Amino acid sequence: MNRRNLMVLPLFAFFSLLFLVAQTAKPTFNQYHKPDEIAGLLQSYTARFPQLAKILSLGKSYGKADIPMIRIAGQPKGSVDPDARPAVFVSANAEGLHHIGTEAALMLADKLLTKYGQDKAVTSFLDTRTVFVAPLLNPDAARAYFAPVKSERSANSRPVDNDNDGKADEDGPDDLNKDGVITQMRVKDPEGRWIPDSKEPRLMRLADPKKGEKGIYKVYTEGLDNDGDGEYNEDGEGGVDINRNFPHDFEYGVKSAGLYPVSESETEAVVKFLVSHPSVALILNFSTENTILNMQQTGQAKPGGDKIKVPAYIAPQLGLDPNTEYTPKEIADLLKGSPMVGGMDITEEMVLQFFGGGPAMALDQNDMPIFEAVQKDYKDALKAAKLENLEKKAKSVGKGSFVAYGYYQYGVPVFSVNLWAVPEPKAEEKKPGEEPLSADKLKSMTSDQFLALGEDKINSFLKEMGAPANFNASMLMGMVKSGQLTPAKMAEMMAQMPKKPGGEGEEHPDTYLIKYSDTALKGKGFVNWTPFKHPTLGDVEIGGFVPYLKVTPPPEDIEKAISFHTDFYIKLMGKMADLAIPQAKVKSLGEDLYQITVYFSNQGWLPTSTGQGRRAMTAWPIRVKLSLSPEQTLFSGRPVENISFLAGSGDTKTLEWTIRGKKGSKLTVKAWAPKLGALEKTVVLE
Amino acid sequence: MGKNKLTLITIGFASCLGLFSLGLRAAEVNLSFDHFYDHAEMTRALQALEKAYPGLAKVESIGKSFQGRDLWAIIITNPKTGPADRKPGYYIDGNIHGNEIQGGEVALYAAWYLLKNYGKTQLATRLLDEHVFYIIPTMNPDSRDYYIHKPADPNSPRSGLVPYDNDRDGTADEDGPEDLDGDGSITQMRKKDPNGMFKAHPKDPRVMVRVSPGEKGEYTLLGDEGIDNDGDGMINEDPPGGYDMNRNFGYNWQPNYVQAGAGDYPFCWPETKAVRDFFMAHPNIAGAQTFHNYGGMILSGPGAVNMGQFPAGDKQVYEYVAKRGEKILPGYKYTIIYKDMYTVYGGSLDFFYAALGAFTFSNELDVDPSGPPLPYMEERPSGREVQDETYRELAAEARMLNEMFYHDNVLMGEQYSDWKPYKHPLYGDVEIGGAKKFSRRVPPSFRLAETCHRNAAFVLYHADQLSRVEFDQIKVTKLNGGLCQVDVTLANSRVSPTITSMALQKQLHRVDRIQVKGPGAKILAAGYLMDRFRNLTRKIKTQDDFIWLDNGVPGYGKLEVRLIVKGEGKINLVFDSLKGGYKVKLVSLE
Repeated sequence: MNRRNLMVLPLFAFFSLLFLVAQTAKPTFNQYHKPDEIAGLLQSYTARFPQLAKILSLGKSYGKADIPMIRIAGQPKGSVDPDARPAVFVSANAEGLHHIGTEAALMLADKLLTKYGQDKAVTSFLDTRTVFVAPLLNPDAARAYFAPVKSERSANSRPVDNDNDGKADEDGPDDLNKDGVITQMRVKDPEGRWIPDSKEPRLMRLADPKKGEKGIYKVYTEGLDNDGDGEYNEDGEGGVDINRNFPHDFEYGVKSAGLYPVSESETEAVVKFLVSHPSVALILNFSTENTILNMQQTGQAKPGGDKIKVPAYIAPQLGLDPNTEYTPKEIADLLKGSPMVGGMDITEEMVLQFFGGGPAMALDQNDMPIFEAVQKDYKDALKAAKLENLEKKAKSVGKGSFVAYGYYQYGVPVFSVNLWAVPEPKAEEKKPGEEPLSADKLKSMTSDQFLALGEDKINSFLKEMGAPANFNASMLMGMVKSGQLTPAKMAEMMAQMPKKPGGEGEEHPDTYLIKYSDTALKGKGFVNWTPFKHPTLGDVEIGGFVPYLKVTPPPEDIEKAISFHTDFYIKLMGKMADLAIPQAKVKSLGEDLYQITVYFSNQGWLPTSTGQGRRAMTAWPIRVKLSLSPEQTLFSGRPVENISFLAGSGDTKTLEWTIRGKKGSKLTVKAWAPKLGALEKTVVLE
Repeated sequence: MGKNKLTLITIGFASCLGLFSLGLRAAEVNLSFDHFYDHAEMTRALQALEKAYPGLAKVESIGKSFQGRDLWAIIITNPKTGPADRKPGYYIDGNIHGNEIQGGEVALYAAWYLLKNYGKTQLATRLLDEHVFYIIPTMNPDSRDYYIHKPADPNSPRSGLVPYDNDRDGTADEDGPEDLDGDGSITQMRKKDPNGMFKAHPKDPRVMVRVSPGEKGEYTLLGDEGIDNDGDGMINEDPPGGYDMNRNFGYNWQPNYVQAGAGDYPFCWPETKAVRDFFMAHPNIAGAQTFHNYGGMILSGPGAVNMGQFPAGDKQVYEYVAKRGEKILPGYKYTIIYKDMYTVYGGSLDFFYAALGAFTFSNELDVDPSGPPLPYMEERPSGREVQDETYRELAAEARMLNEMFYHDNVLMGEQYSDWKPYKHPLYGDVEIGGAKKFSRRVPPSFRLAETCHRNAAFVLYHADQLSRVEFDQIKVTKLNGGLCQVDVTLANSRVSPTITSMALQKQLHRVDRIQVKGPGAKILAAGYLMDRFRNLTRKIKTQDDFIWLDNGVPGYGKLEVRLIVKGEGKINLVFDSLKGGYKVKLVSLE
C-alpha cells in the first residue's frame, strides 16, 4: 500500500463515521423497518443514550431470528435498580403482519428517549419506572412483507403438515403472473359458487340461489398444485401464528394456533420474560386488535358453565344438594361458617377452582371502571385528532391472543390498539334518536343489555341479517337468559355466516376497500383480473386485492397514525399505581405499650392490582413486614401482614399493631410488592 | 508335556469355562422387587439391562431433571425384525409425582420381564419382534430421591423441585416442614388443649377423632412437623417445589387459578419438556401407560367435562382393554377421570391421547395397603347410608383402627412413630407422631413384587392389543392393456384400530397408505371393495404410486381394497401406517 492510500484511509474512516452518525442520528417514521434493521436501530439508541437504553433479547424465533427488546430507564444517582422498579412492557406485532405496530413501538421508544431530560413528566417517570419495548414479537412472519413475492402471513417458520399427508410446507402459493404479490385466481367451473358483483364487477361474491343466481367461478389463492394431490396451496410455508399461541382461550385442533399453548419459542420467550419479571405492572400492545374500543373477550362459553352441580360424593358432607345447580356465590355463602371448611373464608374463586369452574371469560367487574374510563379518554382524544374512523373496524381480542394472556392470566391491565384502518366513506345519516342494532354493537353488549332491547328490536335485526325463520327473538332471549349464549358469541357466529350477498341496491362489503385502492392508492391496492394459462386448471384469471392492504397504511401515513397513539400510551403510563406511606401514628397506651397505626395509600390512578389478577392469583398483595428492635415485643398484630390491594386515586388502608417497647426506641415498617417496589418507614415510639 | 503344563491348560480351560458361564450369568440380570430403587440404583439397573441385552435394549438420557439427574428411557425392541420407528410403539412412564414412587419399580419390572423372557415366551418374543417399548421408569428423579432419602410424608413431595414461591413473599422454598423428632419422616404435631376439637379414640389413644358437639376435647392438631423458618407467623407454608407436573401437559391446559399446580404454561419444567420432546420424536407410539398411586384404578380420560366425550369407537377400545385389566388386577376399577374421580386439566394422558393419538391409561397403583378395601371405599358413595354422617364417621374411625392394627401386627411398628413429647419454639409442649412416609400410598415391601407383576401384565396385555395388521389375501387378475387388478385384504387381529377415532376426527397425524413399489409401478385407480360379488367399489383418490386409507384399518376388522395397477413382473405392496406398523408383500403381476 502506498502513502497516498494510507492518507485516504483515515479520511475514509471519518466519512464512514459521519455516515454512521447521520444514520443513527434520528430514525424517521416514513418507512417500514425490516426485521434485520431493528437490531441496528436499537443499537443506535444505546449509542445515543447509553445512560437510558440497554439492549436485551427476548429470545429467538423458530427461524432463529432474534426477538429484539430494549430497556429504557433513567438512572440518576441513588435510583433503584431498573429491574426492581415497577415496569411497563410495550409489545408489538405478534401477528407478524402488523408492521405499523412495530413502527409505533419504535417511535414510542424514540419519544421516551428523546423526551428524557426535556419533558418533566417523562423524566420523573423514567427515573422511577422501567419500560421494556419489544417491537417485533414474530420476526419470522414479518419477513414475508419484505420478500420479493408478498403474501400475507402470520405464521412463524415452524414446518406444519396442514393437509396431513406426512409432508410439511410442500404446497404453498406461487406468484404465477410474476407481479410480486400473491392474489387470487378465478376459473369458470360448473361447480363454481362465485359471481362478479353487479355494481362492482371486479369484486367477487357468492351467488344467491334464492334470487335465481347461478355461480360461475371457483376462486383459489394464486398458485399451483405443487404436490399433485388435487388441492391448491393447502400446505404453505409455516407455521404457527404467535398471536394465537398464548394460553388463554387457546383453540385446540387448529393447526395455525399450534398443537398446544406456548408451543412456539416466540411465545415462550414472552411468557418467560413476563413471569420472571413480576415487576411488569402494565402491558401496552400494538396489534390488529383494539381492546380499548372493543373490550369484549372472544365469548367462548365457560368450560364448566356458570352454574355448578356439586358431585354426589361430596355434597352431603358439605350439606348441599347434589341435584341442585348453584352459582359459585351461592355455594360460597352457604359454606360460610360451616365446620366442614374448618373456619376458612371461602371465596367464589375457591369454589370455582374446587368444582372445576373454568377460567374467567369476561372482564372482571372490579376492572370495568378502569377500562371504561380509558375508553372514554381514548374516544375523546380520537375525536379531537379526527381519527374516529378507527372506531368502525375495532376488532376484539382473538383466541389465544397475547393481550388476552396478559389480562386473564398474567393479570395486569392490558391495552392494545390497532393504530390504523382503511378510511371509509362517511356512513349515511342515522335516524335521530336511537341507533339500529348491529353485529358490531352486539359484540360489546352484556347479556342484560341484550335482553333489555326487547323482542321487536331483536326480531327486526334478525330479519335484516337474513337469519332463517326459526331464529326468533324469544328463542334467542331464552338462550341468553339460560346462559347458553352470550351476545358476543352471537356476534361471532354472525361473523362466520356467509356474507349476505349484495343483491340489487346493496353494496359489496369490500366496496370501500376498492374505492380506497382506486383513489388513495391510485389503483395499487388491487390487481385487475388478467387471463393466465394455468398448467392444471387451464384458462384462469389472476387478480384481487394485494396482501397487507387492510393493515398497512402507505408509508407517508405512518407517522400520523402512530404519533397520536404513542402520545396516548405515554400518558397512560403516567397513571400507574404508586404506593406511599403518607403517615404513621403512634399512640401511647401507658406502661411502655404503644399502638401504631400505619397508613398505606395508592397515589397513582390505576389500582395496585386488577380484579382478574387477584382471581388468577397472579396479583401480589402488598406485603408489610414489621422489624422490631431486639428489646421490643409484638403484643398484637402479626409480624407480616398483607394488604390485598389499593384502588386508585388515593385509596388508603391502615394496619395496626400494639407494641411493648422503650420510649424513644425505633422500629421499621417495610412494604413491598413486585409491581410497586419497596418502601420503608421508621417509626419512633413516643 | 509336564504336569505343570497340564495344570496350566486345565486352569486355562476352566477359566474359559468360567468366563463363558460368567457371560451367561451377565445375560441374567437379577433384579429384586422387594425394595425401592433410588435414582442411583435405578440407573445401575437400567445400565445392567442394557449391558446384558445389547441386541434388544438401549438406555438413553432424554434430558436432565432440574437438579441435574438424568431422565432415563430404556428402549426395547428386536431391531432385526425392522427399524423401531416402523413398529407400533408402546410408551410407559412412572413416578411423575415424586412421592408416588412404585411406578418406577413397575416400569422397571416391565422392561426386565420383557428382556428376560424374550425367546422364551411367545408373548415377550412377539411383543419385542413386532413392537417397540419406550420406558421411562421415573419422570421425577429429584423428588424420588428426596422422598426416599429425606424426611418426607406419604403425600409429598408430589411436586418437582424447581423452587416455587408458594406464599408470594419473594423468596422460594424458605419454610418447609422439618423432621423435628428425627425419625426420618415428616409426621404430625398435636398439642394437649382442653378446648381442642379432637380426642383420643377410646380403643386406641394413638388415633385422633373429632369430638361430638357438646363433648369436651383433648387435643388440637397442628399439622405437619415444622417450625416458622421465615418468621412470618406461618408454619410450613412454603415447602420445596409446590406444583403438579401432571397438570402441565399441553392438552386442555388451564392456569393455576383454574387448575392448581398447572405451572406458568404447558411444559414449563425440564422434566415435562423432556417427556414431551421424547414422545413427539416417536410418532409411532400408539399406546401409552403412566403410573401413579393410589386407590386401585385403571384411569382413562377425559380429564375434564369440557373435553366432551371420546369418540364411540375409541371408548369401546378403552373399555375392552380396561375390563380385562380389572381381571388382571383384582381390586382395580376402570375409572373415567372427570366422571368418576375429579377434574384434571392438563394431565399427561389427555395430551398423549387427544393431541398425539395414543390410547393411554394411567394406573393408580395399589389399593389401601392396610387391608382389603372397606365397603365404603368400594363404590363412589351415592347411596343413602353414605349420606348418613354417623355411618361415615364410624367407617373413618374403623379405617384408622384398622390401619393401627396393620402397623402393629403386620408392619410390626416399622412405619409408625408413637406420639412423643417435643418442645416446640412457637407452640411450647407438643407431641409428635403418626404414620411414616412408606406406610400409606406405597405397598409394603412384601407386596411390591405383586404390584409390579400384575401391572406389567396389564401393560403387556394392552401393548399386545395395539393394532396388528397383516396382508390377508391378495388376488391378482390380469386385465387388458398391461394392467392388473389387485385385490388386497388387510386384516387387523387386535381390538385397536391403526388410528384412533380422535386422531381421525382432529386430523392429528397422517393416515395409513398402500403403496406399490417396482419399476414403473403405478396405481391408476382404486376403491374400497364394498361388495365383492357385485364388484361394487367406493372410489379412492390415487396419487401416482400410492393411496391414502382415510380411516385406517379398524380393530378386529378387515379392509378390502381393489387397485388397478400398471406395472410388470414382481412388485412390492407396502402397507405404511404411522402407528400401525409397516408391512411389505411381494406380489407377482404375471
